[in-house]
Amino acid sequence: MPPVANHTEESLVALLKQGDKNAFNYLYDNYSAVLFGVIRRIIFDEITAQDVLQEVFVKIWNNIAQYEPAKGRIYTWMINIARNAAIDKLRSKGEIMKGKIQTGEEVVFSTQQTGGTEQQTDVIGLRKIVEGLKPEHYSIVDLAYYKGFTLDEISKTLDVPLGTVKTRMRAAMQHLRQYFSI
Amino acid sequence: MSAQEYITSGLLEAYVYGILPEAEAAEVARAMVQYPEVRDEVAAIEAAMFQLATAGAVTPPAPLKENIWQAINASHSVVAPSPIAAQQSVTENTIPLNGKSAPRISWQLAAAFVALIGSLGTNFYLLNNRNQTGQQIIALQQRIDTLSNAQQNLSLQVSRYRNEADMISDPDLKPVVMQSTQKDHPMAATLYWSKTRGEAYVSVQKLPMPPEGMQYQLWAIADGKPVDLGVLTNEMIGKQGMEKVSKAVADGQAFAISLEKAGGSPVPSMDKIYVMGKVI
Repeated sequence: MPPVANHTEESLVALLKQGDKNAFNYLYDNYSAVLFGVIRRIIFDEITAQDVLQEVFVKIWNNIAQYEPAKGRIYTWMINIARNAAIDKLRSKGEIMKGKIQTGEEVVFSTQQTGGTEQQTDVIGLRKIVEGLKPEHYSIVDLAYYKGFTLDEISKTLDVPLGTVKTRMRAAMQHLRQYFSI
Repeated sequence: MSAQEYITSGLLEAYVYGILPEAEAAEVARAMVQYPEVRDEVAAIEAAMFQLATAGAVTPPAPLKENIWQAINASHSVVAPSPIAAQQSVTENTIPLNGKSAPRISWQLAAAFVALIGSLGTNFYLLNNRNQTGQQIIALQQRIDTLSNAQQNLSLQVSRYRNEADMISDPDLKPVVMQSTQKDHPMAATLYWSKTRGEAYVSVQKLPMPPEGMQYQLWAIADGKPVDLGVLTNEMIGKQGMEKVSKAVADGQAFAISLEKAGGSPVPSMDKIYVMGKVI
């Protein structure tokens, strides 16, 4: 569960929507590391990653009115903003093509050599979790979560049927939940 | 779809990852309102995803927070004076919840560009391949020509050898070996003579190519007198094989070859007799 020491998520969101700067500071203090980790997982360059994190928090501030609590938790919303911003940055630099051309095998391979250039953000915890996943499961989490591939794109990239992608996505999540006892 | 169908479909995971198309995401959002189980399942997936993100958390450098506030203040001080600009800014910055951000034109352009480059590359590769194939065909054709020429030559040679072998094994055919009569000039030719048939064949083992305007002439020595047996074609000099002697060979105790003017001479030039051999 996210750290919500002084606020319930509901009250935090209410304050944020009112433009409360303290609430925003609280948001930054509690979530910037998670969001920066997500960005760093996608963008190798430290300075570019910092630029993206800055863009992300400016977007969160500017767009907090768009956030609908009924559709999901605020951290999910923020993580996806961060992930998409990082991917957009990569794509604007043309670097994503490398990732798009990657075959499924390479994706699996890159997950097996976790801690390589791609993820300096990697910590022992993440590596342990990754190693606990089957390669075919992790490659799907990786493509969906860190690369922002649509189900269709994942299906084409890994050359597996759409139904299989969904099944594996579910199975991967079951493993993660088991690991986190959720 | 029932609540259970939603839960097992894999769609909820995709929803949380934010990779569902807008229509499907809206459908999942409706299901969350309709089914508490679906809402709980989504919440559990969100929690697991958050844990995964937390496991990879990296604390950003401290000054960044201040930069962000400056950026926020700057964007507001710029945007605020113009309501139109403010509106634009809002629409531009709209981020669909759990959805992918606006169509990524730059990515599509890049993809199209890469596809174009790939296509050009493939065309060039194929063209190159075709040219290479064409060249290979020509090369192969040449090899086939060379080989078939060589094969023709070989079979010609084989038939010559066979004739020669037949003649040598013919008991009626006597070989007359003609040796060099010129000192320090090793030369040799052989005459195969069938006295009963009056036929003879000549084969040259070693004779120099005659100078221009000159030809070798074959002689029989019968009763001490030279008998003209005709000239040898220059083509056969230096070649393996035999040539049939054009004239009938009725008699002779010895045979000789002399170098004469092209077309031959009625009498041999005695100092130009190159080889000679006696009938044994």
